[in-house]
Amino acid sequence: MEKKRCVAMLLAGGKGSRLNALTKDLAKPAVPFGGKYRIIDFTLSNCANSGIDTVGVLTQYQPLLLNSYIGIGSAWDLDSKNGGVTVLPPYSESSEVKWYTGTASAIYQNLNYLKQYQPDYVLILSGDHIYKMNYESMLEYHIEKRADVTISLIEVPWAEASRFGIMNTNDELRILEFEEKPSEPKNNLASMGIYIFSWNILKEYLEMDARNPDSSHDFGKDVIPRLLEENKKLYAYPFKGYWKDVGTVKSLWEANMDLLEEDCELDLFDHDWRIYSVNPNRPPQYISPDARVMESLINEGCTIEGKIDKSVLFHGVTVGKDSTVKESVIMPDATIGSNCFIEKAIVPCDVKIPDGTVIRSFDDEIILVTEEMLKALYSAY
Amino acid sequence: MKRKLLGIIDATTYHEDLDDLLTHRSLAALPYAGRYRIIDFVLSNMVNSGIRSVAIFPKMQYRSLMDHLGSGKNWDLNRKRDGLFFFPSPVVGSYPKGIGSFDLFAANMDYFYRSTQEYAIITNCYTILNMNFKPMLEWHMHANCDITEIHHQDGRSLEMYLIKTSLLMKLIETRFETGYSCMKDVVSDIHNDYTVCQYDYDGYAVKIDSIESYYSTSMNLLKPNVWQNLFNNDQPILTKVKDEPPAKYLKGSSVKNSMIANGCLISGAVENSIVSRGVKIGKGTVIKNCVIMQKCQIEDNCYLDSVILDKDVRVESGTHLTGTAGAPFVIRKGTRQGALMNS
Repeated sequence: MEKKRCVAMLLAGGKGSRLNALTKDLAKPAVPFGGKYRIIDFTLSNCANSGIDTVGVLTQYQPLLLNSYIGIGSAWDLDSKNGGVTVLPPYSESSEVKWYTGTASAIYQNLNYLKQYQPDYVLILSGDHIYKMNYESMLEYHIEKRADVTISLIEVPWAEASRFGIMNTNDELRILEFEEKPSEPKNNLASMGIYIFSWNILKEYLEMDARNPDSSHDFGKDVIPRLLEENKKLYAYPFKGYWKDVGTVKSLWEANMDLLEEDCELDLFDHDWRIYSVNPNRPPQYISPDARVMESLINEGCTIEGKIDKSVLFHGVTVGKDSTVKESVIMPDATIGSNCFIEKAIVPCDVKIPDGTVIRSFDDEIILVTEEMLKALYSAY
Repeated sequence: MKRKLLGIIDATTYHEDLDDLLTHRSLAALPYAGRYRIIDFVLSNMVNSGIRSVAIFPKMQYRSLMDHLGSGKNWDLNRKRDGLFFFPSPVVGSYPKGIGSFDLFAANMDYFYRSTQEYAIITNCYTILNMNFKPMLEWHMHANCDITEIHHQDGRSLEMYLIKTSLLMKLIETRFETGYSCMKDVVSDIHNDYTVCQYDYDGYAVKIDSIESYYSTSMNLLKPNVWQNLFNNDQPILTKVKDEPPAKYLKGSSVKNSMIANGCLISGAVENSIVSRGVKIGKGTVIKNCVIMQKCQIEDNCYLDSVILDKDVRVESGTHLTGTAGAPFVIRKGTRQGALMNS
């Protein structure tokens, strides 16, 4: 196997339980986003655009759709003879089945995958976030700082800081302290869950962590604190730009709405940093003579006969006559009948909304429409 | 079926009436319906009919066609066995006069010798239709025909022929003795030795052979019964993937009765138009009855009615361009239109 300078390991086993019904049958990285993408497209496209051509994708929770979606990686131009995408599910050894119990154990169990490439550096990513980032620049920074580990950080609102791993650094951005979800955060510099490890350090500390029966085998909780204890060189890499953890129905909805702004910070139209995805190959969208579309993002294969206002429509969505879809996200192949009114809602894939249905929120909650909800609504009649 | 039918696309046709749109490309590569090239229709029909070996015979200006087709991956034709074959004509100059020129095929006889498929379907590259060839093959076999010509239900020949590969090879090899130079010569000779059948197709099928037919059939696409006949999920029309984001409708946009492809940024008004991938339409601009090809940029406060904009055209702010339904105003690829140029 050809030696690779940097190999990426993408943790894509997340359950995303706060996304409720959306992640019942699929892993969080496979959740649809932005009218044509799945969340994992952003990380995979970042790899492709950063020149990282060897990516191990670790799947565990509901992997069927994710595995077939990733395939051999051709959508992201990662179907190369040397390297490319490799899906790495948990496997069994002679004595036991080794589930991925934590982020660190997931990588530890795939050290053999990494060893094949004799990498100098390993980039550890999560498939849960929406952002555009050049990992190559982060790697240069890591090399320049002669760091053992580099962790990317982003400034988050103080109110949310206790949801993240918070880093305290000195003026040179050397990390002095790392607190996972602190109740009283000392600052608002949060870890984005993106790590670059020098290979020897990664191997040594993962092996050490695996032998420790008291460890929860998590990078943030176990491996990083241990490295700091032993005075290793950990640096923070400051990231500026759009970054969002779409972990809840509300934040997923908000991130979709962000895309509708005229000068959206997350520019999907930038040809120098394309976001690739598996193309559904549908005809152009048809906007009927009675339709009205305002400030929206609409994908191919849609048939629009109603009014669409500030909404995101994925491929193959049909909206019938005299219906209004307002501030909503309608996922692939969902059908909205005629005379419907849908406001502040997320309609998942393939859901069929009967004629005349009204879905609106009376508080600020975002409604996740499910087949069960519709059944309950219509059994009342 | 898989190993039964060969697909042969004659992409040598050139129509002088389409000159303005064909200076940089062959007819087969002419953009159509917002995200396709004309050849996508017959090529996808073949793939959807289970054909796994397709030979394309292009002539002149085939750079854009090759760029579009690549290895055939988007049609699932990048196969170890069979797949997509490209046979440019070895002869420069004159264009063959009928569909399925035997001279053209003769230059690539090896393809026919190596193929194991028992039947071959020969099509032109300029018909827009979504047809499954499987039922026709069964019908052809059942009726013991030697050659079947596809006709539209209204009587027009669609210039597509089904024939046993061995008979096709015989016709190619004996072309000098028989005097038949193409498939059309054979079927139109009433004294030929073969059982020539006619298969009636009742779906939507139109031929692109002039600016007028290009424009009027493009406008036809806005009729629901037409686009529903051409586009369905069971027999998708496949094309080259471009990774454009969804179309974005910005403040001030108003779009009616139109087909909009991905990657568009729309701030103006669009009505009765086909807008291709990656087009930008500025504020206060009105686009009516137009066909706008890929990556055109129409700046603010323009007025375009009955205009065909070829790829990469830039229309500067305040420009007014008007054609008529019978004679749409055609702007050539890659040009720039200023407010003062056509007033």
